[in-house]
Amino acid sequence: MENLEALMHGFGIALSGNHIFLMVIGVLLGILVGVLPGLGAPNGVSLLLPLTFGMQPVSAIILLSSMYWGALFGGSVTSILFNIPGEPSSVATTFDGYPMARDGRPTTALATAFGSAAFGALAGVVLITLCASWVAQVALAFGPPEYFAVYFLAFASFVGMGGTPPIKTLVSLAIGFALAAVGIDTVSGSVRLTMGIDEMVKGVSFVVAVMGLFGIGELLIAVEEEFHVKAISSKVEWREVFRTLAGLPRYGWALLRSAAIGCWMGITPGGPTAASFMSYGIAKRLSPRHANFGKGEPEGIVAPEAADHAAGTSALLPMLSLGIPGSATAAVMMGGLMIWGLNPGPMLFVEQKDFVWGLIASMYLGNVVAVVLVLLTVPIFAALMRVPFFIIAPVIVIICTVGAYSVSNSYLDVVLMMGFGVLGYLFKKLHYPLAPLVLAIVIGDKAEDAFRQSMLMSRGSLGIFFAKPLVTTLILLGAALLLMPVIWRTIGRMMPRSQVKP
Amino acid sequence: MVSGRSLEAATALITGAFGAAVVVSTLDNGIGWSAAGVESGTFPFIVGLVILAGSVFNLVQGWLHARAVVLGPSEIKRVAMLFGPAAVFVGVIPLIGIYPASAIYVFGALAWHKRGSLLLAAAAAIGAALALYLIFELTFQISLPRGALGTLFGF
Repeated sequence: MENLEALMHGFGIALSGNHIFLMVIGVLLGILVGVLPGLGAPNGVSLLLPLTFGMQPVSAIILLSSMYWGALFGGSVTSILFNIPGEPSSVATTFDGYPMARDGRPTTALATAFGSAAFGALAGVVLITLCASWVAQVALAFGPPEYFAVYFLAFASFVGMGGTPPIKTLVSLAIGFALAAVGIDTVSGSVRLTMGIDEMVKGVSFVVAVMGLFGIGELLIAVEEEFHVKAISSKVEWREVFRTLAGLPRYGWALLRSAAIGCWMGITPGGPTAASFMSYGIAKRLSPRHANFGKGEPEGIVAPEAADHAAGTSALLPMLSLGIPGSATAAVMMGGLMIWGLNPGPMLFVEQKDFVWGLIASMYLGNVVAVVLVLLTVPIFAALMRVPFFIIAPVIVIICTVGAYSVSNSYLDVVLMMGFGVLGYLFKKLHYPLAPLVLAIVIGDKAEDAFRQSMLMSRGSLGIFFAKPLVTTLILLGAALLLMPVIWRTIGRMMPRSQVKP
Repeated sequence: MVSGRSLEAATALITGAFGAAVVVSTLDNGIGWSAAGVESGTFPFIVGLVILAGSVFNLVQGWLHARAVVLGPSEIKRVAMLFGPAAVFVGVIPLIGIYPASAIYVFGALAWHKRGSLLLAAAAAIGAALALYLIFELTFQISLPRGALGTLFGF
């Protein structure tokens, strides 16, 4: 009940004219970056970051998180109407969303997607409302070894459950850690990994990496695939919207299952992309109409959308209560929190009650605002897709350049961004995941500090990670997740082939 | 034409080289245990080793199991057509500053694709530079690079 009281207090903060205005701006900008190929939620949030420095932290986080919700919704619009996923996490929505829209039911497809997305998001926020402060309370008792174990668990779950080749995930993660270490070591003050370039002392900002990896990289992928924009009517029929929304409870079981998958993948940082694919795959396997999947089956829209949004929202739970972001965008937001002078983690719930509960309340409101705005603006943003790509591309390159430069007024950052662009393109092309790299840049230093402090406590013995039941459990869980791919492969080998690929 | 095999190999070599550079560079910082605790090179050293080992694994895997062709000639051309001008744009910023560079970039893109008149392209180019100035320099007070040319004119 204490949570409910705090939530009501949060609503009091979030429900001001100023904050509602920020939500609307955030959601609209979010839909914009979600719709544009090459710009996504991580970029959009990084671009807005420098503009929030003068704001109250709670206003800033409301703006940034609303942008995130907007981007999640915007990505689905292009998936359904144009068969072009605006966001990596809405790729799975194209499988059934586009066929349904092509068969003359674009409104039904959009309404199904938005309805399930809203349900997924709601599930995520409710989970945060109920559990976040409890998790934070548990985490208050954590010492450095426990923290390191939690970080280890988070990174291990990427490798074990991210759905990408495990060794490629590991390499991506380790590169992020190495980049985080560039510059001045926070513990000893010595300079590390500058590779002989003096300016590198300031380190590699996650914003620069995000602009390159997600901005330039995605752009190169998009131009290579040369999409043909086939115009499907983007007119929204409101009667059909309400009819579809009223019919959604028919997919109650699929909704619940997908939201659960999404929440799980959001908290253990698997991320929204992996969540939507996993949910789609499971729905296809379990549904009695699985032959219809890929041809415009509503459940094929419900499953990835609900999971995508549940994961996107619940990714903020570990960010707030443990200081571990559950997705790339959450990582960028956490970087923002640190710049604003807040310390993400359990102490937030003690010291910054207004901030935390204002944010949680704004998540309820922001998603409602997002659903309404996205429905109202579908025709406008759909028209934007008809602007030729050769005009959009230079604009995005210029925006990313300015974004990278403005982090610390450094041209070196722009050059680095281009390098990250090439890396992002190669990584995307070869199925290396990008999110772990960004996450590791943001929390690499914290993970390292936790490790070194633990070592100080134990005078250099690794035994400290097996000294108490909680640490041991976390470390063993992490190790089990790391070994998951190996275990799956062994099981796959032992089972007859027909059962492995249904 | 670029085969999946060579693309996998190139990427693994890039990550591997980075890993090797990290390992070598951390040796200066000291690895292992000292009186002050874990030395500052230790953690990156381990990370560098992981990158190196993973890259070798990916190199071998990519060589053995890669798909045949991942980039055809037309795809390479399209990617180059985007990346080339973008790289030139970034390259000339220290010389002529971001405003002229953006204007030329936008003008070039529009003129190259021959949509609309050159006059329209020129208008869009000036509009882009002006928008940058208005949004960043004036509204959000973020100073953008003016380049050697800007210094020359005292801008």
